[in-house]
Amino acid sequence: MSGAANGDLLQLGDLRVDFRTAGGPVRAVDRLSYSISAGRTLALIGESGSGKTVSSRAVMGLLPPNAKVSGSIRFEGEELVGLSDKQMRRLRGAGIAMVFQDPSRSLNPTMRVGAQVAEAVRSHADLDRAAARTRAVELLKLVRLPLPEQRYHEYPHQLSGGMRQRVVIAIALASSPKLLIADEATTALDVTTQAQIMELLRDLQRQLGMALIMISHDLGLAASFADEVVVMYAGRAVEQAPTHELFARVRMPYTKALLEAIPRLERPPHARLPVVPGRPPDLAALPPGCPFEPRCPNRQDLCRESDPPFAEGEPGHRWACWFPCNGGGP
Amino acid sequence: MGVLVPVQRRRPVSGNGHEPLLQARNVVQEFAVRGRGGVKGGVVQAVSGVSLDVRAGETLGIVGETGSGKSTLARSLLQAPRPKSGSVTMRGTELVGLRGKALLEARKSMQMVFQDPFGSLDPKWRVRDIVEEPLIAYGVGSREERRARGREVLDRVGLDADVFARRRPRQLSGGQAQRVAIARALTLDPALIICDEAVSSLDVLIQAQVLNLFEQLRDELGLSYLFIAHDLALVKQVSDRVAVMYLGKVVELGPAEALYREPLHPYTVALLASIPSPDPTAPKGKAHAAISGDPPSPIDPPSGCRFRTRCPRAQDICAVQEPPLSDLRPEHAVACHFPVRSSDENPATAGAR
Amino acid sequence: MGAQLPEAEPHVATSALTLAPTAGEPIERRRGWLRSLDVVIPGAILAFLLFLFFVWPLIGPVGKPTGGNILNSNIEPFSQGHLFGTDPVGNDIWSRILYGGRSSIEIALAVQLIGLVVGGSFGAFAGYWGGALDLVLMRVLDVLIAFPALVIALAIAESLGPSKFHTILALSFFSVPAFARISRAATLRLRERTFILAARLSGTASPRILLRHIAPNIVPQLVTFGLLGMGVIIILEGALSFFGLGIPPPNPSWGNMIFDGQQVLSAEPRLVLVPSLFLFVTVLCFNLLGDALRARWSAV
Repeated sequence: MSGAANGDLLQLGDLRVDFRTAGGPVRAVDRLSYSISAGRTLALIGESGSGKTVSSRAVMGLLPPNAKVSGSIRFEGEELVGLSDKQMRRLRGAGIAMVFQDPSRSLNPTMRVGAQVAEAVRSHADLDRAAARTRAVELLKLVRLPLPEQRYHEYPHQLSGGMRQRVVIAIALASSPKLLIADEATTALDVTTQAQIMELLRDLQRQLGMALIMISHDLGLAASFADEVVVMYAGRAVEQAPTHELFARVRMPYTKALLEAIPRLERPPHARLPVVPGRPPDLAALPPGCPFEPRCPNRQDLCRESDPPFAEGEPGHRWACWFPCNGGGP
Repeated sequence: MGVLVPVQRRRPVSGNGHEPLLQARNVVQEFAVRGRGGVKGGVVQAVSGVSLDVRAGETLGIVGETGSGKSTLARSLLQAPRPKSGSVTMRGTELVGLRGKALLEARKSMQMVFQDPFGSLDPKWRVRDIVEEPLIAYGVGSREERRARGREVLDRVGLDADVFARRRPRQLSGGQAQRVAIARALTLDPALIICDEAVSSLDVLIQAQVLNLFEQLRDELGLSYLFIAHDLALVKQVSDRVAVMYLGKVVELGPAEALYREPLHPYTVALLASIPSPDPTAPKGKAHAAISGDPPSPIDPPSGCRFRTRCPRAQDICAVQEPPLSDLRPEHAVACHFPVRSSDENPATAGAR
Repeated sequence: MGAQLPEAEPHVATSALTLAPTAGEPIERRRGWLRSLDVVIPGAILAFLLFLFFVWPLIGPVGKPTGGNILNSNIEPFSQGHLFGTDPVGNDIWSRILYGGRSSIEIALAVQLIGLVVGGSFGAFAGYWGGALDLVLMRVLDVLIAFPALVIALAIAESLGPSKFHTILALSFFSVPAFARISRAATLRLRERTFILAARLSGTASPRILLRHIAPNIVPQLVTFGLLGMGVIIILEGALSFFGLGIPPPNPSWGNMIFDGQQVLSAEPRLVLVPSLFLFVTVLCFNLLGDALRARWSAV
């Protein structure tokens, strides 16, 4: 997925996001580059502080005023970095839509859900009320909301978590986006509902030819639904590969640690997990060299001194590590 | 209340202790609910007649989704608030009727760790006061003894007392805060610790650290756990036996391995099938929605078997008669009229897994 | 517990924007007084005013606020020994401002303290224990709050007669219900927090929970509320004095100074303007300070 710019829907090049804070500048995203083309699913995996959410907010232009974005974000060839709010708003929804984690916070609790979908429809197309309403019901059907005509008139609190998230997706689809960013969209849902929503997203993707960026901390989810995975740590990309390749031949020790830490059904009861000590670094005080070094089982002196480059070690598989794991799954 | 002794190992960890440490029988818990428009309300049964045992030295896992009642059950066991009906015995002492000092004494051997690491710590208190609070409440030991005990439990959970004792919760990370909560639970040397989604809010790597801590404490102190979570893989990994809850009822209860290899209840099968697994050999999109629809609301549960509205195996009898929880195999009980046998096609364990 | 159906705990993984304060939102680290100008400026002015009102008359050359000589009446400001001149009766205005300010602030402080302790406690008890206690308290509060505060204060002051102590009593009828309402709401919110349940499960008894857990967590909110209310109380006291029901003459209060001064407003406007100006600045500083403290304390 790297290299050729043709056919790429979204292309990030050396994206950097810096925040001006009272304690000094904080680099939340550092030299992030990836691309995605239509109909594909990219998973952005990382824990707290990894920068995965901040980078997507940068794509959407949803960062707070004290954020400074540099580098390049190209959507359909058009550069997004440096656009004004008004220009971003035009692009948002017309090309890119986002679904957030907590559906109860994405919906207006005092407005009926149908009206919210209809409002989204009308902000992107010049339709009268009746036509917008029809389209809204269509969208609710599209996201497989049971009894859409009835639910149209209900308030968010009358719906379950899974149903609310379907409404949020319907709103996101109102503009027929080419790219959908799902930021931990299923984290707050039950596991059975999560499976349903992920299936829905996948089917919608096929139906509408959308590209999907799924942001998550759940590598298992990525394994099941993504074509390609980018693993982030301390604001930068540390490993990137097609899904199959990543799990079969994991290189970056951090990714390996993530894989090993996931609870597995196959493990015997009371199994002790291989753990990595310590916790994620303070972005305001990053040491020179590799940010994962203090916790890394493979670390050497070089890692502390020098930041490993994010390079393509094998075709299609990039990583940032001086002493990667020698392939083989977890 | 006696001289403080160091937190010590209480019993060999075999998981085969026969007399149950904690016994719950037909526990029912209700909440009053405001009706639409706030006028007439009703009552919802969050827990509808749950019976289970936690044996000495074992970890019993409880898995369920939203509305299953698992968290409510946990609090009911601790009498916070006491259940509407049913019995809860801890080491032979009936807890349900107890009040005041008697309840306090009986509760000493059961402690709880909550989901939100910061929510369970008073933001204005220092770590050492948080950890020593149970000692003060029970009037145990002198000031020096309390200090010593505080240091001891902090050490047990891997926190250096010199560094952390004077900190406040906002100066802790999520993992550290949860360790403090665990240390507090250890202070009175309990026999049973109830973990209510205790690792669900933590990052994956920190979660693994804390899980290892739980196992380590189990080894060192012979603790029993009641481990509640919505993640079946997680529960299965830490538990000896697992109970699956749906809408206030236990639908399956058995050894962790057996539940995984031979799930008997269709809901368990669906849970297993929904779990995405980082398995490179699995076909993509393998985690599939094995059941349709959303969990019904506990306010108006379906008649008969509560799972029937989403069950692929439901028949007429399921609407009429509620299936009792009974042993289908030794030590493996299920509440279903048409349990899944190994002879059936089992999508969860079939194929290359 | 007649509670709503409890929401199941959301299965939320900590996200970058909440747990790690190092990414995402701007951190406001209160390091260095320069960052705290919103507190320092009003705080410093208030400290200076408090010094003026409480300390300066004891150590500096300040005349007596009463017992002026009619022969000294209406001296111009900036004259020898009279910074703001004298009033029609011959009293030095500057010293009346200082002593009057002291009275006003003493009264306001006393009223707010009574409100915080009495009202705050009752509100916390009602919020924590609920039930009959809560019901009774809420109805009593409803009645008290329904009456216009000034009317009650006037009625009490009228029946008891003007004096500093009676003024404090009368104004407490206003502050106690206000604090009780805030305290009850804060306690209700706090009661549902997990750490309160954890404390109960640790064996801590209710009185101790109220004292060691609830109180420390609601006091900041009550204090900021108190500061924001200082201005209101000072003005109310001024109104009472304006109606002749506050501090009895000849003792000064800003209120009765304004009352007396308005009779000669066109001839000697400074008799109204000077106390009004001090009133304005003092109240403004309390409000700014209270607002700034609320902004930082509600973030934690």
